[in-house]
Amino acid sequence: MDGITGVELIRAAALLGAGMSMGFGAIGPGIGEGFAAGKACEAIGRNPDQAGLLTRTMLVGQAVSESTGIYALVISLLLIFVVKG
Amino acid sequence: MGDITHVPTFVVELFGITLTVNYLTVFNTWAIMATLIVLAFIVRGRIKETPGPVQRVAELYISAMDNLTRETLETTSRAYFPLVATMFAFLLLCNWWGIIPGFEEPTKDLNTPLSLGLMGFFLTHTASIRAKGIGLYLKEYTHPFFIMAPLNVVGELAKVVSISFRLFGNIMGGAIIITVVSWMVYSVALPPFLYAFFGMFVGTVQAFVFTMLTITYIAVATK
Repeated sequence: MDGITGVELIRAAALLGAGMSMGFGAIGPGIGEGFAAGKACEAIGRNPDQAGLLTRTMLVGQAVSESTGIYALVISLLLIFVVKG
Repeated sequence: MGDITHVPTFVVELFGITLTVNYLTVFNTWAIMATLIVLAFIVRGRIKETPGPVQRVAELYISAMDNLTRETLETTSRAYFPLVATMFAFLLLCNWWGIIPGFEEPTKDLNTPLSLGLMGFFLTHTASIRAKGIGLYLKEYTHPFFIMAPLNVVGELAKVVSISFRLFGNIMGGAIIITVVSWMVYSVALPPFLYAFFGMFVGTVQAFVFTMLTITYIAVATK
């Protein structure tokens, strides 16, 4: 046992940071996409003829609001695969 | 599992500049373009008065794209329709390309989405200058107050980053999840469903979003 070296510490911090980035980054898109889906359900209930248009608009809106989560994913991937310590 | 981070590169020295090329992306992009051209020639050869199944699918695609551009761009839709239809077909095939064994999605490489995003950026600003004139175009940057100009410039540049990273992140994330889960289950039973979700569903949605956002940016800029 010769203790933890600096390289291992950097690796550990990068992995921890990757997990935290993804965890916190997923909160916003999760809430936002759920809200969009809920509103779309309400709208379809009120007006079932427009279900196709509403679903399409909902999917586009969700994919756009997902981008913050995707940024978190990209940061996590960078931390896992690029930071070698 | 070990091939996630491996990027195949090919280094060229050209007039003293070192160029690093991911040859797999280049090959797959050219293969997709060739497929699209061959498909176009097949459809073109079969155009008849009474449409067959191939022509019917092509007409369905063309009219759907035409409706989409007409709804968003109204008067200038004819000018942008070829771009929109081609871009959606290209991105759709790009995102589905990984389903074929042995091939990789070109959109998994950041360079493909980034170049398409930059193309959209230059197109938007050219269209804006052409529609409003250079004076009104520059005046828009100082929209609420003069002090906001740097913020507006950053906002325009952030559009390129957000549109390209969205496509790249979705496809790359899907590819990594497919690789990791396939490794965990020894490629038994689960991978086809993962390909169906991350390749077909997410790929279609993201191709649509990318195309839709590009025409929305053009529509907002020319209004």
